[in-house]
Amino acid sequence: MNRIAEPAPADLDRAGTTVAEGAIDLLVTRSPQRRSRWVAVGAYLATVFVLITFNFALPRLMPGDPIDALMAFGSPNYVDDDETRANLARYYRLDESLPEQYLHYLQGLARGDLGVSVVTNVSVTEELGDRVGWSFLLIATATGLSMLIGLPLGVHSGWKRGKKLDRGLLGFFLAVQNLPIFILGAVAFVVFSAQLGIFPSGGATTPFNEYRGIAEVLDIARHLALPAILMAFDFLTYQYLVMRSSMVSELGSDYLLGGRAKGLRERRLKYGYAARNALLPVVTVIGLQASVAVGAGLIIVERIFSYPGVGGYMFYAIGTRDYPAMQGAFLVLTVTVVTTNLLVDLLSRRLDPRTAS
Amino acid sequence: MKRFVEALRQSRMLLAGVVLVSAFTVIGALAPWVAPYSPSAISGDTFERPSRAHLLGTNDAGADIFSRLVWGTRTTLVVAVCATALILAVGMALGLTAGLRGGLADTVVMRIADVFLALPVIPLLIFIAALAGPSLTLSILMIGLFTWPQTARIVRSQTLSLRQRGFVDIARGLGGGPLYVMRRHLIPALGPVIGANLVFVAGVAVTTEAAMSFLGLGDPSAVSWGAELNRALQNDQITLGSLWLWWMVPFGLALTVAILGFTLIGVALEPRFNPRWSRAQT
Repeated sequence: MNRIAEPAPADLDRAGTTVAEGAIDLLVTRSPQRRSRWVAVGAYLATVFVLITFNFALPRLMPGDPIDALMAFGSPNYVDDDETRANLARYYRLDESLPEQYLHYLQGLARGDLGVSVVTNVSVTEELGDRVGWSFLLIATATGLSMLIGLPLGVHSGWKRGKKLDRGLLGFFLAVQNLPIFILGAVAFVVFSAQLGIFPSGGATTPFNEYRGIAEVLDIARHLALPAILMAFDFLTYQYLVMRSSMVSELGSDYLLGGRAKGLRERRLKYGYAARNALLPVVTVIGLQASVAVGAGLIIVERIFSYPGVGGYMFYAIGTRDYPAMQGAFLVLTVTVVTTNLLVDLLSRRLDPRTAS
Repeated sequence: MKRFVEALRQSRMLLAGVVLVSAFTVIGALAPWVAPYSPSAISGDTFERPSRAHLLGTNDAGADIFSRLVWGTRTTLVVAVCATALILAVGMALGLTAGLRGGLADTVVMRIADVFLALPVIPLLIFIAALAGPSLTLSILMIGLFTWPQTARIVRSQTLSLRQRGFVDIARGLGGGPLYVMRRHLIPALGPVIGANLVFVAGVAVTTEAAMSFLGLGDPSAVSWGAELNRALQNDQITLGSLWLWWMVPFGLALTVAILGFTLIGVALEPRFNPRWSRAQT
């Protein structure tokens, strides 16, 4: 009975517990606890405003203007004519004063207008709309996969705190916690897609396929598998660390002692009681991870595997110097990140009265 | 320093981390002597297999891959050192201001930190680098600009708790000016906590630079691990034969080991210097 309450002596374990607790502090209470809900919403609105303003101002701060890029020597739109240039400037409203431009830009945003892609001449909103689904599919699959593995590992590891398995898992995940996803991604791409040919080498579907029904689903799954596994691996680490440390903090609780005295089975105590109580901070972490992933992992994974999501679109736009497309993708990605953060914050307040205080 | 040596003796993790980071520092500093060729010189045919002349073969331009690996260490170190110094300067200045002045200054600095903390860094860096044209200076500046809030917060909370302890009030009461108190009392007391934080920050800087150059948005003229990894991945030849074994794997491994070094130090130092630790122990 004492087993669960005794502190583990290992140096590794002590370090791990604090780091994981630090992770909780960083992720869960990133908005300090005493902050009211309204302050959180205020900070969110300020951040969105900063992002929108960045999106408007940054291209205009840079040397040259979008028309220079549009008319650059060697581009298919190359025109060396002052009148055309002036017309273009009028068309893109670049002849107006900056405040006027900003006002028109905000008005456009309010209508959901992100401008028109210079390369394809299609509305950026429409082009992004086609891609959001793929990005969502990728993140959702990765989250599901990592939860399936990371949470049970964390529960078990925390329950068996200080034992051989726990120390091994903890050491491993602590060591890999900061590894960037692109190293593994690049190698996995070359080995599994290019060399072994187990997975397709890019895209979300086989081009020009005529698959229907099950075959179509299988085709999509085959393309999704490798990027999703990599992203899941990225998620796994924090989910494991937070689940474990949250589990450890439940050990030695009175309710476990009571349950044990009542003669409840070990399994029931572990999953039905301790794990259920320990799950709360993990829910928050999973939500925040999704938002972090939109900000970084998604862009990298989609680039390696040429996955047709929003991140891939951003890169294509950068390659072709398509300013409106670039700005649109940037805004959608970043606003999604901060919005997810806010939603997770509000949700965790609702779920856990201690955070709301 | 004595405390550090003590810690080194107690923790194998810290020792391993310090050894790894020092090894990279030495290799980076001695790059011109360690590397057999200039990293950009055409020293052989394209895609030579590993041999005695070229330990890791040559890349698509006929440059010696081993030399590029060695010189890449230097870029990584430059980014780690410069970005960390920048973050230290900004984080200390703002954190100390907020912690010591309190009131309006505190509120303003911390609200700005909140907003910066919420900004998604990688998309912003990509956006800026794509617009401004990538360069090493820009990468360092940007990493510094977007990573300071965490350090500032730690400095602020530490300063606040130090102020409570009285010796600051006494020093002020005895006629010590704010700068004197900062130099003589606050900075030495803050040192260890900030040191542990900076190791993490250095790791973040290295990872961010590598990610940026991997995405093709690093300095095109710098020899960088991330950029070389990207170059290999973009090359059609990588899918044929075992070229990836000596062109991609070494750069991936170097990055992995370097980041591992920073992580190990950070993980080992945190419980010693983190004030949260004493609380967690009770």
